Amino acid sequence: MTQAQDPLPKTVAMSGAGAGAKAAGIGLAAGLVLMAGAALGVRSWTSSAGQRLTEPEKEKPKVAIADQAEVAYCTPQFKQVLERVLHSCGLASEGEGARRGCKPADVKTFASISDDDFNALFTPLKDRGGVVMFDEGRDDLDDKAKKLLEERWYARKGARYFFVVARASKTGSVSKNNALSHRRANSVMFFLTQLAGDPEIEQKVGLLWLGNEFAQLSKEYCGWPNSRPEEKCDEEPINRSAFVSWVDCRL
Amino acid sequence: MFSRGSKAPALIALVASALGLLFASNSTFDYAAHLDRRLHDVHCSFIPGAAATPEAEACRAAMYSPYSALLKDTYWGGIPISLFGLGAFCFFAAFSLYLLLAGERASRRTLGFFALIGLTPLCISLLMLTISLTQLGQVCKTCAGIYISSALLAFGAVTAWLPSRGDASRPVASLALIPAWLVGLGVTTLVPAVVYAASVPDQRPYITQCGEIKQPKMKGDNPVKIRGSRAVQQTMLFEDPLCPTCKAFHDRLVTENIIEKLDIDLVLFPLDNECNWMLDTALHPGACIVSKAVLCGEGNSRAVLEWAYDQQEFLSRAGKAGENTLRAAIKQRWGESLLRCVDDRKTDVRLNNHLHFASENNIPVSTPQMYLGKRRVCDEDTDLGLRFTLAQLAPEVLK
Repeated sequence: MTQAQDPLPKTVAMSGAGAGAKAAGIGLAAGLVLMAGAALGVRSWTSSAGQRLTEPEKEKPKVAIADQAEVAYCTPQFKQVLERVLHSCGLASEGEGARRGCKPADVKTFASISDDDFNALFTPLKDRGGVVMFDEGRDDLDDKAKKLLEERWYARKGARYFFVVARASKTGSVSKNNALSHRRANSVMFFLTQLAGDPEIEQKVGLLWLGNEFAQLSKEYCGWPNSRPEEKCDEEPINRSAFVSWVDCRL
Repeated sequence: MFSRGSKAPALIALVASALGLLFASNSTFDYAAHLDRRLHDVHCSFIPGAAATPEAEACRAAMYSPYSALLKDTYWGGIPISLFGLGAFCFFAAFSLYLLLAGERASRRTLGFFALIGLTPLCISLLMLTISLTQLGQVCKTCAGIYISSALLAFGAVTAWLPSRGDASRPVASLALIPAWLVGLGVTTLVPAVVYAASVPDQRPYITQCGEIKQPKMKGDNPVKIRGSRAVQQTMLFEDPLCPTCKAFHDRLVTENIIEKLDIDLVLFPLDNECNWMLDTALHPGACIVSKAVLCGEGNSRAVLEWAYDQQEFLSRAGKAGENTLRAAIKQRWGESLLRCVDDRKTDVRLNNHLHFASENNIPVSTPQMYLGKRRVCDEDTDLGLRFTLAQLAPEVLK
């Protein structure tokens, strides 16, 4: 009796087990295929990155490089004079005994340009710079001169060099005016040294003293920013002065 | 929820696994693409198959975060955790397919096993979601895609198992299958990571190719000093407090506890043409004022810098709104005396000296920049490759 019991369920069970095994086989195969696919994909991604790594980038974005300011007035001629001042007058020299500043004869020699052309080079600096005025025969700075110097010094921005171009008026002898303009340049330098407290100030400030021999200023320069705007101005007082400005040029 | 014998749960698990596979593939692909040390667009969408995009800040932040990969000291960028997801979803897809085909012929033990391990991606996803929310403050869409897939997979796995409880008609599977399945899961999960580790390109020749700084020390005016509590490595950083990349970089240094090992000379390099003549337009308006606030922080400079990073979005908006809004924010947080210092001409000069230091060294006009001693750390080594690069160039920092 018991031997004849339900042969069908056994068949069904057999077929169910077979289908289950088939499903397991498909699942296993799918797993292997997916795993192999994932491994191949990863291998391909890392390999192609490695390939790109060895090849130079075709369109590499250009990155600007930090540098001092360079503005439109930095013409080749202006830079030539600037460079000559820096080298001939000791600003770019290092070590003890390096010369400090340029006297009129130096300027005449190295600039190799006329007085007017020399002055014209500084025209673009009209608003950037200022004219520090002195009393006749004097080289000491008054409060307004100090204020103007302070304002101009602190407005450095990206400039590398600060120029001081001292002059003397026609009154008096050439040698006296030469010495006077030298002292005026030194007064400005002394004040700036105290103001800045910068041990490297000598590498920043270029001094020129022109006496009354070279590149005298015409009356029209009275319209430039100066330390005595309320006073009467003509060719005499405007040349009892030191023009100061940061120069936004690279060399 | 589903009737006994329904194939819907297995189908859901299969679809979830396929989605998980897709999102994990996208994430891994993005990570691997960056092994060429270049910038690439990143997949960052809930939509499966959506193209990579340059607008993917959250996904990029997640990718650069310390939680995105393992073994970062050993491999450049580390082994991305998405690789494990990729492998695991292969296993779950195959297992779901089996359950779908087997139907009622799948044993209760099989379904129980699947329900149990089907919860593991969800557990890991919840952990990663918590990290995203608490540590990164944002959730990347590709990651969220994986989280959703994991939740769906868990749902499918559990609802496949629930109706089978007490179903005596199902065949009985051998207990020995369980360790076999676990081994299968382990192998499948590890294979992509092993292949990745074996095939990542060697980055060592490249990490020293970004030059040196001409003057490793600022003359005259001092940089901002940030000395970590266990400082062992002289470092110079050029940063802009309103630069999002600088913020992310700083966060990495803090989160990975690297900052405590660094003796930092911070040079402020605001990308704002109000003070920085090297730019025609301001990339980060207001950065000059905030930089001055950092300078004025003196002994508290790190706190001011970190405040600026924390409040970067607000300060950037304030910077665009105008100087006064920014000044008010600085005054409110740091008081009148710091604001007076910000407005002092000496601070202008000091910031100007920082910018001149950058120009004298002809550094690239970009932030952040890191110098270990004299050596410049390449930009790509300050994000994905940071730990690997430090392990190579300054291993004591990671000890």
